[in-house]
Amino acid sequence: MRFFHSLGKYFIFLSRVFAKPERFYLYYHQILREIVNLGISSIGIVAIISVFIGAVLTIQTAINANTPLFPHFLIALAVRDSMILEFSSTIIALILAGKVGSNISSEIGTMRITEQIDALEIMGVNSASYLVLPKIIAAMLFNPILMIVSNLVGILGGLIAGTATGIINFDTYVYGLQYSFHPFYITYSLIKTVIFAFLITSISSYHGYYVSGGSLDVGKASTKAVVFCSITILFFNLILTQLLLV
Amino acid sequence: MIQVRNISKWFNDKQVLHNISIDFERGKSNLIIGESGSGKTVLLKCIVGLLNPDEGDVFFDDVHFNILNHDGKREVRKQVGMLFQGGALFDWLTVEQNVMFPLQMFSNMSNEEMQERVQFCLKRVNIINSDNLSPSELSGGMQKRVAIARAIALNPRYLFCDEPNSGLDPKTSILIDNLIEEITEEYNITTILNTHDMNSVMEIGKKVVFIYKGNKAWEGSNADILESDNEQLNDFVFATSITRKLKAMKK
Repeated sequence: MRFFHSLGKYFIFLSRVFAKPERFYLYYHQILREIVNLGISSIGIVAIISVFIGAVLTIQTAINANTPLFPHFLIALAVRDSMILEFSSTIIALILAGKVGSNISSEIGTMRITEQIDALEIMGVNSASYLVLPKIIAAMLFNPILMIVSNLVGILGGLIAGTATGIINFDTYVYGLQYSFHPFYITYSLIKTVIFAFLITSISSYHGYYVSGGSLDVGKASTKAVVFCSITILFFNLILTQLLLV
Repeated sequence: MIQVRNISKWFNDKQVLHNISIDFERGKSNLIIGESGSGKTVLLKCIVGLLNPDEGDVFFDDVHFNILNHDGKREVRKQVGMLFQGGALFDWLTVEQNVMFPLQMFSNMSNEEMQERVQFCLKRVNIINSDNLSPSELSGGMQKRVAIARAIALNPRYLFCDEPNSGLDPKTSILIDNLIEEITEEYNITTILNTHDMNSVMEIGKKVVFIYKGNKAWEGSNADILESDNEQLNDFVFATSITRKLKAMKK
């Protein structure tokens, strides 16, 4: 019963978030600010994680396929498809749920307990829309760029690990990357990334927006936001895979 | 003028406001006083619409405020300024941007006109050379003054102040009180202050309402307090032995 109550409250919250903005140009400034806060500041962590994932994928695939029947270029193919299909969208989304989700939830939660949200409401500003819509738009615009960066850096990581350890040479790796490439995998990954960006920003904003109490409650809301974002991402990952790939 | 009629409010099974009716007059500082937990902040939030009263009505001049929908309330709130206990300045904006925010959101002024208005408001509250500071770089008193500047930027008809002196030293408190009173009289605003600071009551309490355990227990002016026989009011206002002696001397 509580789940349906929260779900209903979440959709009412979204209806307020997507109400017509009072002044578009103020929202435009907020969107730029959020692109920096949520997107550009995440490039480093995404790149670091992706390069190691790519490297580990290469080594693990090579170990598990250490047979003459398994051509070496398939290592690169495995790295490419794993990165595109799952790691750069789902795993990066789970990591961003932790980094960006907790950031959003604690930021909005702190605004709630320091009465900044009340101050916006008293002025006649739709606080849900003004604070949350720019975050959603910024993440939905910028996360696909993060996903592309993740793919490129991950594949590069695989190449570096493969050539440095002598598992695979450069030409074979590049051949494997080009072999049996399905461009739709990129589209599938982009669709997932955009939907996950929406889920991360809206769910964590919802948890922050309805905080009541003090700083301990902001911390609890932040944790809840990360947990709910992660579960929802995994659930939607399953649904989208079934809908788009099968 | 703001009229409150028979307001009651419950939180779960606990009734925190009991059938309160008050008229808050225009051009005056109307003070709501009471002990911590007496229900004065809940009353203020019910008046301004941050909480919905379970019973009763609130009128902003001729507008029946609490029956309005969300959009209707938002329209009325464009004429409302509010000073929060902690200032509630927006962290991500500078002092200048905080004061400019309501102008950008709701006025059709040009950028030059907005700049002019911001400088006027900041000067009015004696904030100078702090335009580019962030709220965290200001002292408590300065934050309150910037919050007042933001609250008056759009020339509001109604001003609400929730514990404007909390956390301030007595001298700064008096400055803030006097500033609120001057602004109230200068712009003919209906001002409601929520406080338990007795200096404020004696300094600017043209109209004082005493809330005791969620009930309106007394109403009058600061001058009337000295003559009052209301036991709860006297226990609250003259809580220290010095003030009790002063009251006895007055009698």
